[in-house]
Amino acid sequence: MDDAMGPDLISDLPQSIIESILVQLPIRDAVRTSILSSKWRYKWASITRLVFDDKCVPFSNDREVVEKSVVKFITRVLFLRQGPIHKFQITNSKLQSCPEIDQWILFLSRNDIKELVMELGEGEFFRIPSSLFNCGKLTRLDLSRCEFDPPHSFKGFVCLRSLNLHQVLISPDAIESLISRCPLLESLSLSYFDNLALTICAPNLKYLYLEGEFKDICLEDTPLLVEITIAMYMTDDIAEHFEQISNCNFVKFLGGVPNLEKLVGLIYFTKYLSIGIDFVHPPMMYNNLETIELYQVNFEDMVEILVILRLITSSPNLKELQISGSSNIPVSVDTPDLDFWEKECLSDSTLNKLKTVKLSEMGGWLHEIEIIKYLLGHSPVLETLSIIPCVFDVENNLKMLIELVKCQRASTRAEVIFTRQ
Amino acid sequence: MSEIDMAVIKPEMMKPYIWLETSDGSIQQVEQEIAMYCPLICQEIIQKGMGSSKNCAICLPQRVSPATLSLILDYCHFHQVPGRSNKERKSYDEKFIRMDTKRLCELTSAADSLQLKPLVDLTSRALARIIEGKSPEEIREIFHLPDDLTEEEKLEPLKNTTDDPRIRLLNRLYAKKRKELKERERLKNVEAEEEHVDERSVDDLLSFINGNDGDPKGVKTSKNKKKNRRKKEQQQKNSSLKEASEVNKEVNGQNIRHQSAEADRIAETSNSHTEDVFAHREFDDGDIDDGIDPALKEKIDREVEDFARRLNSDWPERMQELLSSGQERKTILFTPNGNSFLRRNACMFFPCFE
Repeated sequence: MDDAMGPDLISDLPQSIIESILVQLPIRDAVRTSILSSKWRYKWASITRLVFDDKCVPFSNDREVVEKSVVKFITRVLFLRQGPIHKFQITNSKLQSCPEIDQWILFLSRNDIKELVMELGEGEFFRIPSSLFNCGKLTRLDLSRCEFDPPHSFKGFVCLRSLNLHQVLISPDAIESLISRCPLLESLSLSYFDNLALTICAPNLKYLYLEGEFKDICLEDTPLLVEITIAMYMTDDIAEHFEQISNCNFVKFLGGVPNLEKLVGLIYFTKYLSIGIDFVHPPMMYNNLETIELYQVNFEDMVEILVILRLITSSPNLKELQISGSSNIPVSVDTPDLDFWEKECLSDSTLNKLKTVKLSEMGGWLHEIEIIKYLLGHSPVLETLSIIPCVFDVENNLKMLIELVKCQRASTRAEVIFTRQ
Repeated sequence: MSEIDMAVIKPEMMKPYIWLETSDGSIQQVEQEIAMYCPLICQEIIQKGMGSSKNCAICLPQRVSPATLSLILDYCHFHQVPGRSNKERKSYDEKFIRMDTKRLCELTSAADSLQLKPLVDLTSRALARIIEGKSPEEIREIFHLPDDLTEEEKLEPLKNTTDDPRIRLLNRLYAKKRKELKERERLKNVEAEEEHVDERSVDDLLSFINGNDGDPKGVKTSKNKKKNRRKKEQQQKNSSLKEASEVNKEVNGQNIRHQSAEADRIAETSNSHTEDVFAHREFDDGDIDDGIDPALKEKIDREVEDFARRLNSDWPERMQELLSSGQERKTILFTPNGNSFLRRNACMFFPCFE
């Protein structure tokens, strides 16, 4: 039969190519290749990366039906394969905690698993079985919606490079010890944690992403950090707690990150950094810091402005700056403390590399105008300054524009772009 | 060694062209900068000093034909320019990859042999996109794959047939029949019974298997003329199977043909194994009826047990057995009817991993 059509085009390609083709197919299609021909019968069985997503079983509105068929499918695929499994990912919103998960993880722990991603559906959190802690070759662990409780004898994942915990129930001690026991950890992401006071000791850490209600964050031993993104939510407890502490958060947080290249702070981050900043000078110069993005900055609060200024003046190589206000418009004509700006002795600092500035959610606060004035007046290579007001209020915007037009510009190439919503 | 040193010692090395020899023996000159984008060529030049003249042209691997080489060189020519943006590269790749499947496969193979990983990734992604979402027939058509799996092998192993209520019913019937058989054995004398010669042709037998109402008596092996006992048991066995498939037909009125295919498949599996048993037995102490019967009965029991166990057992074992018994089954000819029957059902079964 194949003489009429021509020679087989594909079955004799090397296994590495076949594997790279099969791995780029959705898992169902990859398994289906087993009935193509006798040579293809077991080609799928040795692929080392298994990804089960929402499309791996036929759609149905009944969640339980889908869950059952997903469980069956995964169990059978695991059973029918042979060889090591390097990546195992379940990203399925219909699957919730079920007893088979323990068996799968046990099976994986015996098959050299390196990357494990489990993102199950909303519902009951599943409890991580102890066999996970025996996965000595793990390099990447992504968990969401589960209970993570390492045994006392757990010595850490010696090969782990990337850890991502999202909505995971874990005690603070366990997190800290987990982080410190993974010496190769390069990327850490913790999200949706409640009331966590965290001290991070990770000598190889390069990327840090934190999102949640943090009482306190101390970067104790993170000299190689290159990128930090923090979104801090606030509750009343935490706000009270903030009032009471006396040390400087700026130093605690940014005191040990000389290689920082990108800093992104959201929600209450600027407020967090502002505590205790009055008394101290910035701890160091961030010579590699090229991008700063701060969102939800409260321009009413001078101390937060101080944080921004300290960051800017400690970053001689800053190239890109993005600041987003907090969507408030000044309701009353208040008399802000303009002495503040003179006190800061900003006239002799220049931002020699700053090229792009983006300001959004601008409400027309006086301090906003002052910052713009400062940036325009001290950035000799500035190319773009774009401003997006937070509301379309002709009066307000007009006021802003009038002030802007008055500003002196250090860069002849600077374009000031005012975008109307 | 600095560049200046190299230029002084071996001026030929700084020539911008190198020589490559393709699988058909033809030698061509190629700009060194472009060719060096391929790790294998780069290695040959630097580590072995090859390629500087026609005599020591670099021999490219077998899988690189001249046409494929020219495609690869186009790719290298574009990508080795450093100043291009990611967007430009992506859009070039999308256009580059538009070619017929045969050339795409050859290109993948050639890129792999030259260790040009970015091109291997690009081409394998394109091949994956071709395969994705297509039916097995379409894929076989595109890649000229031989359709050489048996129907059983195609019935997707991921479908768990033991969950099927029809199979469970079959199992129960088998168990019942086995008990009856044992009973009859005990009651019977060791007297020769009426000889029953099976004269049915293979076709008739097959139509019986495929669920047509036929003669419920007997089965193939006409060699067993003397072994009446065995034959009788075989008859009973088959009638039980026939019954089973009939019962199945009743059980689910809707999908009669669907079921009997299932039942038939199992019936046929069982048949082939009993056939094995008989074939084996024949050459042994065939003349001593007494000696055989209890042993045979045991053999049958074991066989049915085995079959029931197999139906309920783990998949890898089942697969093994299907594979090994596939040899025997291949000798059974399918009537055209039965064949398309199963094939249609194969397509039905396959997509749904229940």
